[in-house]
Formats: sequence, C-alpha cells, structure tokens
Amino acid sequence: MTPGRRFRIYLLEARFQVLEVLREPMFAIPTLTFPLILYLFFGVIMGTRGVSLAVPTYVLATYGVFGVLGPALFGFGAGLANERDTGVLLLKQTTPMPAGAYLFAKVMAALIFGAIVVAALFLTAAHAAGVALYRWQWFALAGVLLAGVIPFCALGLAIGAWAGGRSAVAVVNLVFLPMAMLAGLWLPIYMFPDVMQDIALALPAYHHAQLALKVIAMDAGQSVPMHLAVLVAETLVFLGLAALGFRRADGFLMRRSR
Amino acid sequence: MKSVRHLIGRSPTWLLIGVAVFIGVLATLPVPQAAEDPARRVPQETFAIVDVTAFDGEAFREGWDVWVEDGRIRHAGQRLDLPEDLPRLDGRGHTLIPGLIDGHVHSFLSTLRDALRFGVTTVLDQSTDPAFAAAHRAARVEVARGTEADLFSAGMAATAPEGHGTQYGIPVETLTGPDEATAWVRARQDEGSDWIKIIYEDGSAFDMEIPSLDGETVAAVIAAAHAEGLAAVVHVSTLETALQATAFGADGLVHVWHDEVVSAEDARRFAEAGIFVVPTLSVMVSAEDTAVAELLRETDEAMLSAIQRQTLAGRFPGGLAEGGNVAMENVRRLRAAGVRLVAGTDSSNPGTGAGISMHGELRLLARAGMGSAEALAAATSVAADAFGVAERGRIAEGYLADLVLVRGDLEEDVSRSHDIVAIWKDGYLVERVVGSAGGEPQAETAPAPAETLVAGFEDGFEASFGAWDVTTDQMTGGSSSVNVGVRDGALVVTGEIAPGLAFPWAGVIWMPGAQPMQPVDFSGREVIRFRTRGDGRQYAVMLISSAQPAGPPPTVTFIAPEEWTQLEIQLEDFPTATPEIIAGLAFVAQGPVGAYAFEVDEVEVR
Repeated sequence: MTPGRRFRIYLLEARFQVLEVLREPMFAIPTLTFPLILYLFFGVIMGTRGVSLAVPTYVLATYGVFGVLGPALFGFGAGLANERDTGVLLLKQTTPMPAGAYLFAKVMAALIFGAIVVAALFLTAAHAAGVALYRWQWFALAGVLLAGVIPFCALGLAIGAWAGGRSAVAVVNLVFLPMAMLAGLWLPIYMFPDVMQDIALALPAYHHAQLALKVIAMDAGQSVPMHLAVLVAETLVFLGLAALGFRRADGFLMRRSR
Repeated sequence: MKSVRHLIGRSPTWLLIGVAVFIGVLATLPVPQAAEDPARRVPQETFAIVDVTAFDGEAFREGWDVWVEDGRIRHAGQRLDLPEDLPRLDGRGHTLIPGLIDGHVHSFLSTLRDALRFGVTTVLDQSTDPAFAAAHRAARVEVARGTEADLFSAGMAATAPEGHGTQYGIPVETLTGPDEATAWVRARQDEGSDWIKIIYEDGSAFDMEIPSLDGETVAAVIAAAHAEGLAAVVHVSTLETALQATAFGADGLVHVWHDEVVSAEDARRFAEAGIFVVPTLSVMVSAEDTAVAELLRETDEAMLSAIQRQTLAGRFPGGLAEGGNVAMENVRRLRAAGVRLVAGTDSSNPGTGAGISMHGELRLLARAGMGSAEALAAATSVAADAFGVAERGRIAEGYLADLVLVRGDLEEDVSRSHDIVAIWKDGYLVERVVGSAGGEPQAETAPAPAETLVAGFEDGFEASFGAWDVTTDQMTGGSSSVNVGVRDGALVVTGEIAPGLAFPWAGVIWMPGAQPMQPVDFSGREVIRFRTRGDGRQYAVMLISSAQPAGPPPTVTFIAPEEWTQLEIQLEDFPTATPEIIAGLAFVAQGPVGAYAFEVDEVEVR
C-alpha cells in the first residue's frame, strides 16, 4: 500500500468515525452538553455570586478535563466493545484497512469532540462568567486539556478490550463518574476527606486536572514531572492491559497489516 | 473509487477549517486588561533590554542589548554576554532612546514630574526662581527612585529693569550697565546657577517696546560668565541681536529669531562661531499648528496634569502667524550651514506643556528637514554636550540609565516618539500616571516605607505600617470563618474552612497602604519572611497586587509545622508580573474543609 493511500484510509476512517458518533445522538448530545450544563450551574450560576472570578476560573479547568474525558472513554470503551459485539469489528477486520487506522480514527473522534467541548466551555466561561486569562493561558489550557485525550483513550481501549458490548457502557460509567468525582473534577479535591484525596492520587484524571490547573496557577502545588510521569506510566499500563485483552479475544489490533 | 476520493478530498478541508475555527475561538477570548500593558511587565533596576533597536545618541543600532545595573548602563552593544539570571525585556519591535533632554524650559510646580512622565528625564531650565532650582539640584546627583526629571538651571536671568523676564512675579536682580556684570555673575554662581542666561530683547520683533540690556552690558555679562568658568546663553528674537550675541562670544542662543530669514552668508557666520541654537519652534509655531494639534489628539488626556492642560490651552496674545514660518525657515538654513541645533520647547509658555511639547518639538524639527537620528540627537547627546551636562543623552557604558522605550520604529518615523512603552529614570521604572507623578490626589501607588518589619504583634493586632484585617471567602459567597487573637506576642489565627466553594479561604490580610488596598511599591525588597507554627496543614500567602489578572490572587503555599519555624518566600516566586506592588498580603487557610489553627509572628518584607 502506498503511503498516500494509507494516509487516505486513515482520514477516511476518521471521518466515518466522527460521522458515526454524530449520528448517535444518545452519545453525542450528553458528552457535548453534560460538561456545559455542569459548568453553567457550578461555574456561572453558583460561581459568580461573589466578587471573585476564582470559582468560574477553577472549574473551567476541571470541567474541561471532564469534557475531554467523556468522548475518549465512551468512544473507545463503549464504542469498541459494541462494535465487536455487533460484528462491525470483524467486518472491518476483513478489509485491508490497517488496525492503526481504526485506532487513529477513534482518537481523532475523541479529539474533535473534546475540542468542541473545550471551545464551548471557554466561550461560556469568557462570556457568561467573565473569566479572563492571559492569551498564553487560554492556548496552554486548551493544549493541556486536549493532550489528556491520550491517557483517557488508552483507558477506554483497555475497557473496550475486556468488557463485553452490553456490559461496556456500564463499566465505562462505573469508571467515568466516580473518577470524575474522586479526581476533583466536580468539586475541588481538598473538600474531600483525606482517604478520598489519597485515592485521587491514583487517578489519571486527577493528574490531568492538576496539570490543567497549573496553567491557571490554581493547582495543589505538586510537581509537573510527577503528574506527567504518573500519566505516562498509567497510559502504558492501560495499553498493556488492552493488548492482553485483545490477544485473549480475537487478535484484532494485534495483527500486523501488510 | 471516484466517490471515495471525493470524500477523502473533503475531509482534510473540514479538518483544517475546524482547527482554524478552534484557534480563532481561543485567540478571541478575553484577556485581563493589565496583561496587555507591556510597561507593567518591564523589569526594574538591574535588567537588560535585549534585541532592541537603540538610538545611542548619534545613530540607530539594530539588535542591541542594553544592560542596566544600579541605575547606570553597564554595557550596551550587539549580542552582549548577559548573565543567565538577569531579568530581561524583549525589545523587539521597539526603539530604545536615551531619556530626552529639553533644552529650554522654565520650571515651576509640577514641571519636573510632568516632564518625566513624557520621557524628558533632564530639563535644561533657562531661568526660574533660584529657590526652585536650588531645591531640585540635589536630586540630580542621586541615583535613586524619583518621580521628577533632573534639573539643570541658569537660575535667575540677566535682564534690564522692567525688561523681559521681570514680569513673572519672581524677584529679579536686574542690571543697568556693564560694570555690574562681574558682581551679578558671581551672585548667580553663589546661588548655584549652572550657566548664565542673558535676555537681549527689546520687543521689536513683537511690535513692542521693552526695556533691554544694551549690547555693551550683554557683552560684559558674557565675558564675566566666561571668567567665572560658566557658559553664557542669550535670549534673542532678531537676526541682528543674534549676530551681536555671537560676536560677543555667547555659547548659545536659546531661541531662533523670527524677524527675518537668515542669509546663507550669515548662517555660515553662526556655524563658524561654533555657537549652538535652541530654536524652540514649539513657541514659534502656534498651537493650532497641525503637528502640535495632532500630538494632542493622540495623547491620552488622563496623562496630562492640571498645569499641562492649562498651559497647553494658553495662547500668546497676538501670536506669531508669519513669524513661525520665518523661524522654521531659519532652522532649515542654520541646519544646512551646519549650526549645532538643540531641541527645546520653552515650556510652559502658552501653547506648550512640560514634557509633552518635546514630542511636538521633535515633529517640528523633522519638518524643518531633520532626519529621525538628527532630531533625536538634538534632543539628547547634542543638548547634553552643548550645556555640558555629563552622563546623560547617550546609551553608552557608564551613562545614567535614563531610558525611554518607544513602540515601533522611531528611525522610520520620529513622530512616534510619544508612544512610550516605558520610561526609566536612574534605572527605575517610572510610573506614568498623573496621580503619582503629577501631584494630583488619586489612589496612587505609594512608595514603601524604609522599615522592613510589618508586625511583631507585641502590642496586639497592629502593623508598624498599613493595617491588618481578617479576610474570608464570605466575600465570594462562602462561609468559612476566622478568629484572631494575640497571645504571647504572636498572632493566633483559628477558624474553619466551610464546604461549598471551589476556592475557599479564611485568614488575615495585611494592607500596607495608608488606605485599604492601596498599592505600595516594594521594589528592591525580595523576601517575605515570617515565623509560623500550627496544626501542620497547608496554608497560603496570597499576594494582592494592583495589577492582577482576573481569578485568584497569586499564591504561594506553606506548611505551618508544630514548632516555631521561620519561613521565607521570595517575592519573585509569586506567579505574577508585579510581585513588588503589594496592596495586600493575606495569610490564609484554604482547603481542605475543616478546622484550622496557625500562628504568625515577625512578619517582614525585606
């Protein structure tokens, strides 16, 4: 296969993936609107009662993490398990499409949905809550938030590799909502008891949120290399788990394309 | 295959459009107002301005680094080997010039503050109240933070009884003949005059009759000044008196004449005599003139002090309609003949304003044919050399760090000179507000007192300057609480952080200013030092500055351990551009929710 043709397959698969998700309003609407509604409530309505913009600024970062977490986890976790159950995955497996195109398409879909959520959150924060950040902060925050798609996709991949199509949505929800809560995405972490704060240290969403908060100087003051190291390590663990899961199941995504 | 290619062909386009929209959204989001003001972020005292186009007093130099240390220029040149930790300001896109020198000023009240606010760091005063000059001469030798331009002055001017210069209500010791010259000059020398100014003005160029010194007396005063080692400059308004003063050996003429256009031959005589001329076109060309009117339109009115507004609005009775053109032509011809020209405004005469008119004068000199470098030299190095003012007017090693950073390319267009990014006087950043520089009451940034100890809590909840208060998140809708008390000479802070807010806090705040939340400038201080002990939980010092972005104040956290411990927080560790500007310093508990207890003692800003 020529590199040009391979590139086209990647793009084409990505396009179809986005279209597929868009045509699934049961998925698209909640992932796009849920972070926004939460932000409107906690960030804008409750957060702007006082004179300080601290609350809407703080929760902008954490709901941003929440916003990119959803598409990545659901797209990979639930989407993949579902496609395997319905046989779509098997069908794709019979085509000459490289396994990489399939993964690429899912990551792209997560990125695009994440970017839409981030843009919507930023616009709401700026215009409804009056949040103002330095130009570099807006860009850096967007960059950090979108980069978080990588570990969350890896986590989704691991779930999708192990869970069955029916149970995947339940499993993803079991991971998604508690993690968002425990990582301090809804309410700041320091409002929880110590035990729960210790749990947070194990969660990728916590470290991702701390990096996002670092951009606006509202983080807990831990070191950036530590957060990055945890995120990289956990991403590798998730990818390893996913590989094991696929090897166990059907070998798809493990096969080398020719 | 065709349809597939069609689809593929479109997806990158849509992707690119999507990315562009996303970046477009990010680029149009609001930013804090203060962040847009580059002057807020310029370093102070010891720093470097790097990669800037510098006008060194003679020519424009591309890609220069200018290293300022302890109020002076330590090095200036291309690609300096600067220390790693030297704070630096990226000068790209800007032009750095020496602080401007106004060669003809009459100073009073707020003149020196008004001048500095517009980048005129040195004023060459051509007669003022000797007491005013004496009071301000001391400041020019200090390399220290100040709010005024340096003053060099002739002090009292030599004139005849009832002559020009006696009409201002300041007592003037007049002269009636050449035999009084030596005693008069010595009296000026005793008063501290930096040079001698002589008024040779009979009013003829203004269709008036004014008593004037005669030529003999003017010559005698010039000779006496030279005998005492002082330079002598002469006020003239006619070609004839200009030629006479030159023949008498005057060092400079502090106006160009406007009665008749100088011939090429006479222009050469001025050049050959080596005399310099301060044309003061600002008072020759009327304020209705487009150059000045445009400048005023481009100037933020809030930058003008009450006196500047008043004098700018003034008009000479009668005016100088045709005379202005003659004066302009004379400048052209003198320049062509090679006569040294010094920029000066004759502010604050009617139609001029201290400081601001210097930018008008640069425009007028450019109109008289000067290039940008030539006009700026007339306003810096040439002026300094003409009046023997040392250490000023150049960007060179050892010179005072009197600097003006102007937006854009000044070489291309000198009329940009008023678009000032930052002014440094003796290496200190000048705050360009009328409030602090113009002497008008406003909520201004106050200088810090010399003492470093904020509070030892020996006599209760008191600060040695400023005031303490409590602060909680109740002001943003929270319900955290705080109790303060003083026990054994230390401040005891207890309370509870209540749930319900993303960013809860409670604790104490120290406000250094005379009024609550008035910013105070702690430039030169580096550390917040304090002793603390407590329950082992994490606390924070929040620095509330005058210029902070929206969102929480810059914060540095600390742990209050069980045993008394002295902690130091570097001011530069606060994530803010201006940690030295402090309106409030809060010692607070933040999350987690729950009770807290800590003590603070011996708070210092040093």
